[in-house]
Amino acid sequence: MNRGEKSKSISETQGTRIVEAYVGEYASGKSENAVNRALFLAQQGRKVVLVDLDMVEPCYTLRPLKDPLSQLGIEVIAWETKQLIGLGETGMILHPKVPRVLDRPGDIILDIGYGAGGARILNLVNGALTSPELCVLVVINVARPFTSTVEDIVEYIQGIGTVHALINNSHLGDDTDLDIIQLGVRLVTEAARKIGLPVEATVVEEKWQKEIGPVDCMGNPVRTIKRYMVDSFW
Amino acid sequence: MSAAQPVIQPKMPKSWYKSNKPHLFCPGCGHGMVLKALGEAIDELGIQSKAVFGCDIGCSLLAWNFLDVDSTQTHHGRTTPVMVGIKRSRPELITIAYMGDGGGYAIGSQHTVNAAIRNEKITVILVNNTNYGMTGGQMAPTTLPGQITETTPFGRDPEETGYPTRGPEMVAAIASEGAYVARGTVANFRQLKGFIKKALENQIAGRGFSFVEALSVCPTNWRTNARDTWAFLEDKMTQYFPVGEFKVPQVKEE
Amino acid sequence: MASVIEGEKKVFMTGNEVAAWAALAAGADIMFGYPITPQNEVMHYWTRLAPRYGRKFLQTEDEISAGFTTCGGLQAGCKAFTATAGPGNVLMQEPYGMAEAMRLPLLAIIQQRGGPSSGTVVYSQQEVTLTTYGGNGEGHRIVYSTASHQEIYDYVIKGFNVAWKYRFPTFVMGDGYQAKMRESMVMYDPAARGIELVPANPIIGLSGEIGVDRECVHLCNIYSLEEELYEVLQKMEADYQKMTPEVVEYDARFCEDAEIIVVSHGVVSRAGQDAVKILRAQGFPAGYFRPITLRPFPQEALRKAVENCKKVLVVESALNQLQRLVKENLYDVALEVDALAKPAVGIIADEIVARYKEFRK
Repeated sequence: MNRGEKSKSISETQGTRIVEAYVGEYASGKSENAVNRALFLAQQGRKVVLVDLDMVEPCYTLRPLKDPLSQLGIEVIAWETKQLIGLGETGMILHPKVPRVLDRPGDIILDIGYGAGGARILNLVNGALTSPELCVLVVINVARPFTSTVEDIVEYIQGIGTVHALINNSHLGDDTDLDIIQLGVRLVTEAARKIGLPVEATVVEEKWQKEIGPVDCMGNPVRTIKRYMVDSFW
Repeated sequence: MSAAQPVIQPKMPKSWYKSNKPHLFCPGCGHGMVLKALGEAIDELGIQSKAVFGCDIGCSLLAWNFLDVDSTQTHHGRTTPVMVGIKRSRPELITIAYMGDGGGYAIGSQHTVNAAIRNEKITVILVNNTNYGMTGGQMAPTTLPGQITETTPFGRDPEETGYPTRGPEMVAAIASEGAYVARGTVANFRQLKGFIKKALENQIAGRGFSFVEALSVCPTNWRTNARDTWAFLEDKMTQYFPVGEFKVPQVKEE
Repeated sequence: MASVIEGEKKVFMTGNEVAAWAALAAGADIMFGYPITPQNEVMHYWTRLAPRYGRKFLQTEDEISAGFTTCGGLQAGCKAFTATAGPGNVLMQEPYGMAEAMRLPLLAIIQQRGGPSSGTVVYSQQEVTLTTYGGNGEGHRIVYSTASHQEIYDYVIKGFNVAWKYRFPTFVMGDGYQAKMRESMVMYDPAARGIELVPANPIIGLSGEIGVDRECVHLCNIYSLEEELYEVLQKMEADYQKMTPEVVEYDARFCEDAEIIVVSHGVVSRAGQDAVKILRAQGFPAGYFRPITLRPFPQEALRKAVENCKKVLVVESALNQLQRLVKENLYDVALEVDALAKPAVGIIADEIVARYKEFRK
């Protein structure tokens, strides 16, 4: 399956809903992209359900963002820290609403954690892997050592399972510069071409928007994000 | 009465460390026999220079310089993980973990269990003398029901302290294919040596975990004379601890 | 073996991943570990990386076993290491003791979490006493307290070298925040920076035929006589004292004219440094001192730093662990000591600034 066949602009998807799963390497920016996507869709007046599926390493989870995101009209399916008191290892428990989350109305944005099982964690969501609506987006930061070359990115994506498109999210945190963003554009695009998948977007913080423009140097659309996850540690 | 006989020097295995002989074990102790069986097995297999001998705390500690083999002391109960660490790092070495019943079945039981389950390619030789000898004769996991020790002065009561640990039976039940598990006795030296040799061969062949319990004697702490010592070993202990092989790897004919 | 990193590479990572990469770059051969938060990703990344470079891993049954298998690996001449936290660090005190006693070059990465007991899985600086002086010995250990991902990388590489050179167990101690935080740092091939890796060599399982090429070795770890052990400990202490000036590390800034010196370590020292800069900008003569090695402690440097100051403000995410070390090392200096002590929680610069102003009144 190819994202290209399903890729539609928001205006084209009026009436149909968006089901996207954000997967990626540890600390690649999955949650950041999922949160920004959910907010963007909500701002279009759409109903959005954001689901926390990080089961390996829940230190940067959506948990602390649950309240503020809910106030912005997003339904967040994630534990609240106070619900997990006494659960020591931060409660690696599947939220009971997760298995049937696709039955809920509205757009569904799934934030998938890293882990040796890759996208197999989608098996925990009833019907996800067979749903024609599902788009699995792999978030790539080429400043992550396991996805820093074209070969590594290709190998990494082939190990995930079902994937529909790539997102270039290359950055160095506070030390981000134009070089790393452009390096990401080149490597991610090249890797995507090798596998025969589209690049959904290059994602940059707002402050880079002017310098990059609406389309990156390889012709991929550019999306801007704000960093929310900085406030969501543990 | 025959004429004066020549003095016969005890025949020591080549892999025994001569400078510390006579050894320090109590008169009548079983450790010397187990270590003789081990020494002869090492000689016959020609592994003296690539064996690593690790000894636990307890009377087994007295074996730390018994063999002319690279040896290390460890901590009480921790010989198995130290030998696992050596073997995992240098698989060409033949690692022998030597311990008592306390080290293998009580304080280090988690290591025995998990080394067996992971089928670690090491050889464990565990000497069962039904008590903690070095600390003065307290109850061990293997102390027999009714047996008097310093911490069971009225005899071991299974209602209070359970029944003796049957180590080889447990290891055979949890170890996977390729493991070798046996129980020998110092009362049958030839058989015990055979078990130890097979256990070492199993490691050399890289098949899996190999574990030999040796029923042994502790006249000092049992407070027994020679006749009673032997009777306890042969009559009482073997009732509870059957001797024989519990798990033998299926080896294809070569 | 090809080098793990060609030249230099700027990357964006979490602290635990950095530790795994650093161990790889430092030539570590094998890791023994047991899961405990917040250290898990050291293992997760080591297990992903190890096969690519012919390195090994074993997940043991507990931390006791992880520590002792590490000891075995070291005896056999491999660069073995482990990583742990909190209750795991408590259990590992037993194998650390063997490493101290037998002078094994053990390297452990510690990511402190809240205590006592299971505490939290998140963050604290409460493993200072345990890591420096845990065990039934004299604390013959080397303990680095890192403050950034770059330092985790640098000190893991340095830690292996120091351990194998001086043969004292060595600890690179971070915390849950450093373990999970993301920041950019530069990975490098140690050789490209002129760092020579100290070679590993076995002390058991030696080559050559016994009785022909060599004698066997009998490694002793328990002594019959008090005097025997006394001699061993005298030698150990002498070696440790001799080593101290060669390994001790600290960072001191603005101390010459300081009225109050802020003393902090690890991730808290980042806030400490920020606070001192803020105070200086506001016209307060604040000083900054950070021990990088908590053991051996930079005693001489701290005593020199406080020569002209009147007070010391100890800041730590613990009640009284760094403070105890500071007081011990300033035992006869007439100084007022105050503390901003917040066990199990983080500390930011503003809090330090506020406490400083209160303290100077």
